[in-house]
Amino acid sequence: MKAAVNQKLTEMGERDRLKELLRAKLTECGWKDQMKAHCKEVIKQKGLEHVTVEDLVVEITPKGRALVPDSVKKELLHRIRAFLAQHTNNLEY
Amino acid sequence: MSPAGCPHVNGFKVDNWKQNLRVIYQCFVWSGSAETRKRKAKSCICHMCGAHLNRLHSCLYCVYFACFAKKHIHEHAKSKRHNLAIDLLYGGIYCFMCQDYIYDKEMEQIAKEEQRKLIFKYICKFFKCMCVFAFVSGIGEKYSTWEPTKRELELLRHNPKRRRITSNCTIGLRGLINLGNTCFMNCIVQALTHTPLLRDFFLSDRHKCEMQSNSCLVCEMSQLFQEFYSGHRSPHIPFRLLHLVWTHARHLAGYEQQDAHEFLIAALDVLHRHCKDDNGKKANNPNHCNCIIDQIFTGGLQSDVTCQVCHGVSTTIDPFWDISLDLPGSSTPFWPLSPGGDGSALNGESHTTGATTLTDCLRRFTRPEHLGSSAKIKCSGCHSYQESTKQLTMKKLPIVACFHLKRFEHSAKLRRKITTYVSFPLELDMTPFMASSKESRMNGQYQQAVDPFNNDNKYSLFAVVNHQGTLESGHYTTFIRQHKDQWFKCDDAIITKASIKDVLDSEGYLLFYHKQFLEYE
Repeated sequence: MKAAVNQKLTEMGERDRLKELLRAKLTECGWKDQMKAHCKEVIKQKGLEHVTVEDLVVEITPKGRALVPDSVKKELLHRIRAFLAQHTNNLEY
Repeated sequence: MSPAGCPHVNGFKVDNWKQNLRVIYQCFVWSGSAETRKRKAKSCICHMCGAHLNRLHSCLYCVYFACFAKKHIHEHAKSKRHNLAIDLLYGGIYCFMCQDYIYDKEMEQIAKEEQRKLIFKYICKFFKCMCVFAFVSGIGEKYSTWEPTKRELELLRHNPKRRRITSNCTIGLRGLINLGNTCFMNCIVQALTHTPLLRDFFLSDRHKCEMQSNSCLVCEMSQLFQEFYSGHRSPHIPFRLLHLVWTHARHLAGYEQQDAHEFLIAALDVLHRHCKDDNGKKANNPNHCNCIIDQIFTGGLQSDVTCQVCHGVSTTIDPFWDISLDLPGSSTPFWPLSPGGDGSALNGESHTTGATTLTDCLRRFTRPEHLGSSAKIKCSGCHSYQESTKQLTMKKLPIVACFHLKRFEHSAKLRRKITTYVSFPLELDMTPFMASSKESRMNGQYQQAVDPFNNDNKYSLFAVVNHQGTLESGHYTTFIRQHKDQWFKCDDAIITKASIKDVLDSEGYLLFYHKQFLEYE
């Protein structure tokens, strides 16, 4: 199910639009700045010369996921549902 | 994380690698057409586990997609010795030997170009199908940090001197020589050169002069800013500025003492006229000028005339550059308002000393005024002349609000200076004086809930022009704010450090406030 949904979203360009919407919402609510600050802390801890992208991903992913406001989640879900409802007859399972 | 890229890419950079890389970006990372999107949707799944999430990467040496999070791509890299992969979400290049994402200049360049093409594609599509909302709320121009152009790099190399702005540096402060009673001009120049938005406009060279002769005042202002921020500590001699002012504002010419407020208005007017074509568009409509002066200083004053008989309201909105406030002690009666009324609590002023405050003056300015039987207005509702009340409120606040305390009385009987002390705050909230506030009051919402998140009407003091002496002979000085809370007194050629107390205790003639929060239109 997930794969089919993802395929539909990608094909119709909706995935990219949703990504941009999410980006805007997360910047607006300050999530981006919070994450930026956390990244800086991690870099300080590990040292600028030795830190890798992987280190950062491992450190900030759980926090990032937890800090997304419910309102943003709701809105994204709503958009996805609306999109699927519109294109339901075209979906092949 | 070496900025010079990693040595392992050299194995990849052979044959037609650039084109191959571009294809990968176009097809699998930033797919712009329906065809590529379809392909991406179908083929971008992990060859090991079939998942499409988990940070999918594509091998750069062969056609292989795999998850990063589950280390599937790592297995592929190890077994096939293909040590480069690309992240399909963000386009970053991962080197398995360096065990980190690498930033190769050439590859970064290709990535940037392909990404730009995608955004451009969306914009073109938007124009074709004309569905404004879908795309305006979707993809927009991506923010990218400033990078110097070749020309800028050249200029920076040829001019190696750098100036460091510390918290106690005096950049931007410079005295002005008095050329014979020209302190009325000097004090305004000090206020203007320390208006943050104006300073930013001129220092970033935004004025493109369209005037043929050498008499553009905006160009001269630009020069002035260069002089002030040059770092020179000797006082500047503004003879060219004075000459231009005399040329364009004849009523101010001559060596006798002039009014600083009149000079401010004349200067803004000339700058506005010379600025008119700055946007490249001919501003035919005087009400819709978009020059920097209008953007910073112009506000809208709403005047409501209410017929006392039919209660019909006739509204006009006029542009303004300053607000002239009557003071107690002038021949026009100043009605004392009870302390604690709206406005004073908001602006944290105390009435214990009994001193008149700026908000008192503003409340008087915006109170309804009965026009009297000798000044009947023709009412369009009643179709006859009726008595009416008139009320002024702020419709649109300017970014820089200038308050002019009317200290010079030139009535038929007498000419004098009103020296009543008026206390003014460092931070001012203009909400009670807005047209919108008045409307909610009229709609029955008497107790206006102060919205702590509404920052639109909050202002900070940044310059105070004072006049010492009498009407016949006097002297103007200016207090200006530099950095967050450093104040300096500008007395012609002499600049001295001042305390906030000095500023707030001063008499005050022209008060300049700057909006605390700016928003895009």
